[in-house]
Amino acid sequence: MIEAFTVFLQRVGAYGLFFVDCVRSSWRHGVRWDRVLEQAERLGVRAFPVLAIMAIFVGTNLAIQGFGAFRSLGAQHLVGMFVALAGVREVCPLLAGTMVAAKGGTEMTAQLAVMRTKEQIDALEVMAVDPRAELVTPSLLAILIVLPALTIIGIALSIFSALIVAVVQLHVDVGQFVAFCFDYIEVRDLVAALVKSLAFGAIIATVSGYFGFFSERGPAGVGRATNRAVVVMCIVCVCINFILSAVFYG
Amino acid sequence: MGFNAPGAAAQGPIVGLGRFGAFAFSVLSALVTGQWSPRETLRQASTLTARCFLPVNVTIFPFGAVMGLQGMRILDLFSAHHLVSSLLAQFIVQELGPVLAAVLVAAQGGSSFAAELGTMRIKDEIDATEVMAVDPIGWHVAPRILAMALVVPLLTIIANTLGLAGGWTVAVGIYDQPHGVFMAHLVEIIGLYDLSCSALKGLFFGVLVGAIATYRGFTARGGAEGVGRAVNDTVVLSVVLILVFNYLLSSLLYGGVS
Repeated sequence: MIEAFTVFLQRVGAYGLFFVDCVRSSWRHGVRWDRVLEQAERLGVRAFPVLAIMAIFVGTNLAIQGFGAFRSLGAQHLVGMFVALAGVREVCPLLAGTMVAAKGGTEMTAQLAVMRTKEQIDALEVMAVDPRAELVTPSLLAILIVLPALTIIGIALSIFSALIVAVVQLHVDVGQFVAFCFDYIEVRDLVAALVKSLAFGAIIATVSGYFGFFSERGPAGVGRATNRAVVVMCIVCVCINFILSAVFYG
Repeated sequence: MGFNAPGAAAQGPIVGLGRFGAFAFSVLSALVTGQWSPRETLRQASTLTARCFLPVNVTIFPFGAVMGLQGMRILDLFSAHHLVSSLLAQFIVQELGPVLAAVLVAAQGGSSFAAELGTMRIKDEIDATEVMAVDPIGWHVAPRILAMALVVPLLTIIANTLGLAGGWTVAVGIYDQPHGVFMAHLVEIIGLYDLSCSALKGLFFGVLVGAIATYRGFTARGGAEGVGRAVNDTVVLSVVLILVFNYLLSSLLYGGVS
């Protein structure tokens, strides 16, 4: 038990060093902006259709559940407020984060782990190219650009689909929905959503980079690295979400 | 053109759906005729539980806590703090528990099922099973789907409990709501019906994830890259379909329309 805890602390420390190394090495060697754009295209554009579908169906369920919850208080017209607050504050940042983690993050882990297995990372080092600045930092910057954008799009889509469900299926008045929806979204909520998505982005890029960079060699090692990376990213994102929510709204 | 024609996945979605139908039918017939291995099912169920138990619980606990936090603030508008546990219970039991459990099982267990079966397919182990007159559907596929159907509802129930515990920590632990008030409003809104609907959702999602994962793995081709693609497709498709069916199931089970 104590041994496991020591190993855990060692891993966290190694991750912290990796994070610092990534930032420092790209500070020293400059940022490869062409690779940043390439990664942004890969992470953002390809994740977009899936995120759109997920945001739409999360919005529908927020509408149904919000309607059910407020009906017991006799205030079903407040469903717009509920959708706006739940969607903007909690669900959409987390949804976009986990989506990018599950798709882009795992791809990145797998790619780095394969490169580690094929000794391509060692080859880069031999050629005096810093593999962190070349491989990890561009993804980090790309995620920091893409994830806030995806979050905002997710918010818009989920509110829109909730509006459709509320009006067509639940017979809520359109004007009431829209009025309560926009009355309760404050600038602070949008800022909080963006801060959350930036934090998730930093976590996703560096955790997936860390697990790929230090994976065991061989196909089994690649599989294990991706699997662990997803789970760790999800758990850390949810925990960070709680902390940030407590800071912003507690 | 045979069942195993190369490039099958590239042909339109309708052909793909038809192939999936044929696959599902062969699984069903293996189940009905009893040509599946109970021992293998239990083995798969135990590895699945071992893989997914911790991630599900570690994720849902802070999620419940956040919902407690936000629920407190939303209910502040009505000065109805005492209802926070009803709000929590409704959301966690009806939506979050089953969906989160299923999504994490898809990411952890579904992906590994697809990877295992895909690797077996690539290495011709599935053909080898067939040559030995063992039905690969009954031996490799059906037990995995059954394991999903068994494990996901159980994980859903545990996730419900832990999510509510997360909400309790915030409401009772931080905001000093009396424990009795929390529990009273909790049991008032959640009955046996909601709990069984929750487990039913879990069962449905489990079968869904199991079917997608085993199908993608079973029909994987194109070497290691093909296995990677099967794994990726499994996770994305499972998560999307879980959310789509969640909407349909919620509309069906909880009325939606009054």
